[in-house]
Amino acid sequence: MANHLLEVRNVEIFYGDAQAVWGVSFHVDTGKIVALVGANGGGKSTLLNSISSVIRPSKGEIVFSGKSVVRLKPEEVAAMGISHVPEGRRLFSRLTVLENLELGAYPPNIRRYMKESLERAFDFFPLLRDRIHQAAGTLSGGEQQMLAIARALMARPILLMLDEPSLGLAPLFVERLFETIQTLNGSGITVLLVEQNVHQTLEIADYVYVLQTGTLKMEGRPEDLLGNPDFRQAFLGMVRADT
Amino acid sequence: MTGFTSFAVFFQILINGVLLGCMYGVAAIGLSLIFGCMEIIFIAQGAVMILAAYSIYWMFTLTSIDPFFGFLVILPIFFGLGWLMYVGLFQRVQKAGKNSSLLLAFGLMILLEHLMALIWSPNTRSVTTSYSASAFNLGRINVSVTRFVVAIVALAATGFVFLFLKRTMLGKAVRGVSEDRLAASLLAINPVRVSATTFAIGIALAGVAGVATCIIYPFDPYFGFLFSLKALIAVAFGGLGSVGGALLGGVILGVLESLSSYTISAGWADAVTYAAFLLVLILRPEGLLGRRSVERP
Repeated sequence: MANHLLEVRNVEIFYGDAQAVWGVSFHVDTGKIVALVGANGGGKSTLLNSISSVIRPSKGEIVFSGKSVVRLKPEEVAAMGISHVPEGRRLFSRLTVLENLELGAYPPNIRRYMKESLERAFDFFPLLRDRIHQAAGTLSGGEQQMLAIARALMARPILLMLDEPSLGLAPLFVERLFETIQTLNGSGITVLLVEQNVHQTLEIADYVYVLQTGTLKMEGRPEDLLGNPDFRQAFLGMVRADT
Repeated sequence: MTGFTSFAVFFQILINGVLLGCMYGVAAIGLSLIFGCMEIIFIAQGAVMILAAYSIYWMFTLTSIDPFFGFLVILPIFFGLGWLMYVGLFQRVQKAGKNSSLLLAFGLMILLEHLMALIWSPNTRSVTTSYSASAFNLGRINVSVTRFVVAIVALAATGFVFLFLKRTMLGKAVRGVSEDRLAASLLAINPVRVSATTFAIGIALAGVAGVATCIIYPFDPYFGFLFSLKALIAVAFGGLGSVGGALLGGVILGVLESLSSYTISAGWADAVTYAAFLLVLILRPEGLLGRRSVERP
């Protein structure tokens, strides 16, 4: 078995009696941008939640840096170096921008680098610097998304998991967001991205998994998928050439 | 109904009310912290106060340790007690929702009351020190030394909690966990540990309020429930989740009580405060300093 940074093996997840994920396997290698795409209800967010142990899979194995994470608590998984920006961002809206960032670097071994980490966060998102004493809840949607990613970066993650970061953002902003994700990846952070914005995702991802109703339908490098007529029809709204 | 015989008398009553209210305020801050972080309505707060009162009473009668010195002993003990209560009891029912924790708190209150009655008998006790009756004059106003010191302690406790929440990382984590437990855990913050700390501070504050109670009032094992109610009202007055608001709520409550018991009669004091409470609930349900609750999108 190759040494993947993150390996998800035959994972099955239930919400009560309803099965949401059916035996899905995928992996993420160090330094890559890997994307999970697919329509709503495909199980993408559910998979991210199971990686950060918010929900426990009933079957299967999830291994990060050679260690199983399925029996850990979310805070223990986070401490291993996985930063998860969840659906809806979940900022502390009553806390200031600065306080949100500070809490991103809560564990004592990371808190030591607070100053550096803050500088780095402001380098990536200069706009936040002017807003540090503002309550997070008063930021615009785009600013909130920046703050959510910046807060996740404060933990100096090995793996950054982003759940639909482009949701609800203006098109211009989406473009900048994807550029930022690429820059972050360039600085050495591995990225696992969940997106419905397939076009943009294909432009930056190294490898893409396509999920549909809780099962893995397709996978491949973006250029392979673009050459696949089933994929083009399903996700890019293009009609098959042979019909 | 009698009017005020003079302006000085009015001030006298006002000061008494403020001093009394500071004590309600401390208990209320504890409640507010616990509710804000864990959504637990800790109805046993008053019983915990009385437990502290009995501890001081015991220390005082057995070893004649000064009650104010007792603060220093009570604080760490009750902090530890609070930690144990959360980890041993409340954390276990947290997933079952607010009602279960309210029931648990209610059960704990009854257990504490009866344990205290068993250990110290249901007779009324009081702690009388050499300075219990002493007072100093501020112009024409007479200020009781004990009440004055209690008020100072209350203000100091409020200041401590306020600074803790605003300035320390743990305090910020408490606010973070209060707002979104899951988001906090995704940032490697252990919500159980943060909640336990919050609970422990809340119980330590109940301890402080209890020490204050025993210096000012005679008490029995069942005296605490009244304080739980008053602290809850103080919290609702000031607004949930606001430290300053809880203290302010306590002070308003104290002032209303002492003014109405002077101008009308002691029997009416509760009626007036509950009426004011209802009025606040109707006109400004989020409390005087509270924020309107925002639904998470």
